[in-house]
Amino acid sequence: MRRNPGLWYAMPLILMMLLFFAAPLVIVGWYSLMPPRSFALTADLGLQNYRSAFTEGYGRPLMWSIIGAALTTLVTALLAWPTAKILHHHAGRWASLVTALIALPIFISESVRLFGLSVFLMPGGGILAGTLNAVFDVQIGTILNTRLAALVGMIYIHFPFMLFPMLLGVAMIPADRIEAARDLGANRWAVLREVELPLAAPGLLVGGLLTFVLCLGANAEAAILGGRAVTVITAAIEQRFNYAQDWPMGAALTVLVILVTAALVFPALRRIDLGRIIRR
Amino acid sequence: MAHSPAALSLTGLTKRFGKTTAVNDISIDIREGEFFTIVGPSGSGKSSLVRLLAGLDAPSAGRLTLRGQDITETPANRRPTAMVFQSLALFDHRTVGQNIEFAMKMKGVAPEARRARALELLRLVRLPEDYYPRPVTQCSGGERQRVALARALGSDPEILFFDEPLSAIDYRLRKTLEVELKELHQRTGKTFIYITHSLEEAMVMSDRIAIMRAGQFEQIGTPEEIYRRPMNRFVASFMGEVNILTVQQQGGATVFADLELPAPDAKGTFAVLRPEALSCDAEGTFCFDAHIVQKLMLGSRTQFHLRAGTATLIAEVAAGHGTTLRIGDTARFSFDPTDIVWVNS
Amino acid sequence: MKAQGNTVWLKAVWIGTILTALYLPIVSVVLASLANTRYMRFPHKTWTLDAYRAAAADYTTVTLHVISLQIAVSVVVLSVLLGTIGAMAYARYDWRGRSLFQKILILPIFFPQPVLGLALLLSMSALGIAPSWKTAVVAHAVWIVPIVTLVISIRMFGYDVAQEEAAFDLGASRWQVAREVTLPALWPGLFSGALFAFLLSWSNLPLSVYTSGADTPLPLWLFSRTATNYSPLVPAIAVIGTFVSGLIVLALLGIRRALFWPSAK
Repeated sequence: MRRNPGLWYAMPLILMMLLFFAAPLVIVGWYSLMPPRSFALTADLGLQNYRSAFTEGYGRPLMWSIIGAALTTLVTALLAWPTAKILHHHAGRWASLVTALIALPIFISESVRLFGLSVFLMPGGGILAGTLNAVFDVQIGTILNTRLAALVGMIYIHFPFMLFPMLLGVAMIPADRIEAARDLGANRWAVLREVELPLAAPGLLVGGLLTFVLCLGANAEAAILGGRAVTVITAAIEQRFNYAQDWPMGAALTVLVILVTAALVFPALRRIDLGRIIRR
Repeated sequence: MAHSPAALSLTGLTKRFGKTTAVNDISIDIREGEFFTIVGPSGSGKSSLVRLLAGLDAPSAGRLTLRGQDITETPANRRPTAMVFQSLALFDHRTVGQNIEFAMKMKGVAPEARRARALELLRLVRLPEDYYPRPVTQCSGGERQRVALARALGSDPEILFFDEPLSAIDYRLRKTLEVELKELHQRTGKTFIYITHSLEEAMVMSDRIAIMRAGQFEQIGTPEEIYRRPMNRFVASFMGEVNILTVQQQGGATVFADLELPAPDAKGTFAVLRPEALSCDAEGTFCFDAHIVQKLMLGSRTQFHLRAGTATLIAEVAAGHGTTLRIGDTARFSFDPTDIVWVNS
Repeated sequence: MKAQGNTVWLKAVWIGTILTALYLPIVSVVLASLANTRYMRFPHKTWTLDAYRAAAADYTTVTLHVISLQIAVSVVVLSVLLGTIGAMAYARYDWRGRSLFQKILILPIFFPQPVLGLALLLSMSALGIAPSWKTAVVAHAVWIVPIVTLVISIRMFGYDVAQEEAAFDLGASRWQVAREVTLPALWPGLFSGALFAFLLSWSNLPLSVYTSGADTPLPLWLFSRTATNYSPLVPAIAVIGTFVSGLIVLALLGIRRALFWPSAK
């Protein structure tokens, strides 16, 4: 048998993943079974943290995070689909420029961009309110420090993460399939449902999954734009870790987030062959 | 002739991958300046064999000598041979000139000498000199073939290997390149060892052909010999569509079982009949009635698909014959014993 | 004909709106940095570059950039190195565990980053490791190395391995094959990988928040100063930081051009 070096090349990454990805998750899982407020890892195992997670009101932050992630995924998908279709349809110099312009902000720190959004939305002397006041003499209120503002922030930050996988997905629809469907009597809606969405499904799935998972952990949007209007799960976990010094409780909440993530990611990844999308 | 050492001599060459034996105990001498072609279906081990010859893989057993010198242990980069790969394996990040000069650069040849030789090779493979500075990515399929050939020749090899380089080329260009390759072989006088799955391609170019199956050579011979005297059904059917009739003993007489036709003087178990051996004029020795299932115009010939007895046969007649025959007709076809090729397996 | 014109118009408006929405906040940061008042009253009474002068004079600006740079450069080196080796296993060789490896590798990408940061923080604390910029490098790497591996793999998939055999067959030594064929052919992939690694690390907030300890990288400082203790210094440093990363990217692009390996596109 020819010796195949594939496994040897995989070793460094496998090691990295074990040490810095799998091991921390195991440690967190172990901690979550410790008695509340203990720092030791040797006490008796128990599920009391999970019990109190639901009785002591941590269900709410988790729920807000899930709702926020779902809404963001939905809205970014609705915004990204026509955008992806336009960019794909008009492929060329112009579209490449627009694509590059959309990609660029990803590389500007989200704290900078969220800060920008907050000064834009600020009441009174904010960029929007100030301009309207000075130019049109119109006074407006603000959505800052509401749940809506946090949601707007999440949509703003995660739009490119939805768009780019979707662009790949849209590129997987051969133009002649749409024409064939039209020729066979399908209307716009039928073409979308029967041809475009199924063919673009891998891209949609990757984009949706990526957006949802990133939003599930999102914290900065709520912190900068949401004010005290909403507590997301990451904030709750951080609060347990840092201020309450209750590591086991924080760990239990972390495990809950991981479980939600895993419940989505594993079935989805089984259906996507990322290697195939990349090879194109 | 017999005294000059073989260009390449294989002795018991074997390659195993785990439990499968890709190349099974092959011994042969390839003559100096010969165009030797190995033909086989995919999975026959022909690519594994040429990789052993080029030194890209090490054999599990056997020896390999080049002009009497043992090169079994010599790695590819120190063998005076060069290969044109199936994918061509052009260096896409380099220009045409840099590709052709690669082997010379590795040997430390001075840039001016390299350039002069590269331009010479461009002419030899019939590419204009202004291709020299072009990126290979801008070349068409046929041009890439020629660059790959020039690059292999640039190492001034004693033997050139070809691993199905024309398989991805369209039919007409392939025909042109086959002829050019043959001419190039004649002009350079080098030994060419060529791998292909197309016997038709092999016929055009080769001095000798080896038919390979399951890691072994089934038959070695000139194109004429392979065509006229295939050793078995496998070799015979490799050439394209053939009719194979089984001969059986029935009640003390030998018969073509499918046609229920007596077969006196049978010289083998199977009678191989090329489509053009079947005639629709009923003038041959063996006549039979056949139902015409399909009729296809092929230009200079007309092809009939026939059902006769339990056999399905293909007949090809020169244009102008059988014009009155239509699909659905039953007509009398015949063949002569001299057109039969007898094989036993 | 007319309907056609209308849809094109509609599409242009749509794209224009998206781009405007994406860039308004970024423009807002620049506008905010041109004020001299602690509480923003837009339009500013006086437009000034004071905040930039203050930022230039403030040693914090340098410290923030140095820490971000330390992290980003380490992440670039680590991820290009590991990513190249990983891409060999991901794209080049067909081996028994490959499809599983391909799936496992992308798990960190599909994982909430702050949660990963918190999990790392907790484990390090449990092991008695004090968080610093070095632990932030580890956190960034867990997320960025898989991405860079994918980026390099894209190039690797399009790379015909027979090129190496061809070079070897034409007389090149193992080292010459690597230098003349493998590296130049994969170079664009390595470069894109490095670029991604740098930009992703430089701008990352959620992983740094919990893992960088007392060393504060740029995004984290901006995040905490936005919430408390705001002054025009904050948007000024945000603009400077973005410019610095832009300059570094331009420098990298310049290096690529200077090295000039004729690219294959």
